Amino acid sequence: MKNNQAELLEQLMEVGFVLVETNLYLDTHPDDERALRLHNTFSQKYKELECIYEAQYGPLKFTSMSVLPWQYVDDPWPWDVDFGKCRC
Amino acid sequence: MWIYEKKLEYPVRVNTTNPTLAAMIIEQFGGADGELSAAIRYLTQRWSMPIGKAKAILTDIGTEELVP
Repeated sequence: MKNNQAELLEQLMEVGFVLVETNLYLDTHPDDERALRLHNTFSQKYKELECIYEAQYGPLKFTSMSVLPWQYVDDPWPWDVDFGKCRC
Repeated sequence: MWIYEKKLEYPVRVNTTNPTLAAMIIEQFGGADGELSAAIRYLTQRWSMPIGKAKAILTDIGTEELVP
């Protein structure tokens, strides 16, 4: 996996992790405007990153588009990605 | 990772009460050879698949088996 791909994937994972937390919080605090704004900001960011990643490296989800051949089957699969070289 | 989508794969329409059928469906879902245990097997075995195509098909069948 190219370094840029792993880095982009890791950014997506970070923003996704924020969304997991805002989601859980909002489930029990649906009226919290500040939390909702935070969620929406990161939701927007997630969409942008996802769009950039999928255009370059293929689908993250089965509902996404792909060039031929269907790139979803390509290695590496998430459990084979080496995040060791990334900035984290 | 997995994300819940707030929709059904296929519309559900239940018109009558049928305990016999309900028992069959519960067995088919959570029973000995049910979808739950099949899903776990697919999703565990995919880790030892040697090629991408095999990882993909086991991931996606396992995922589909879990759809409630």
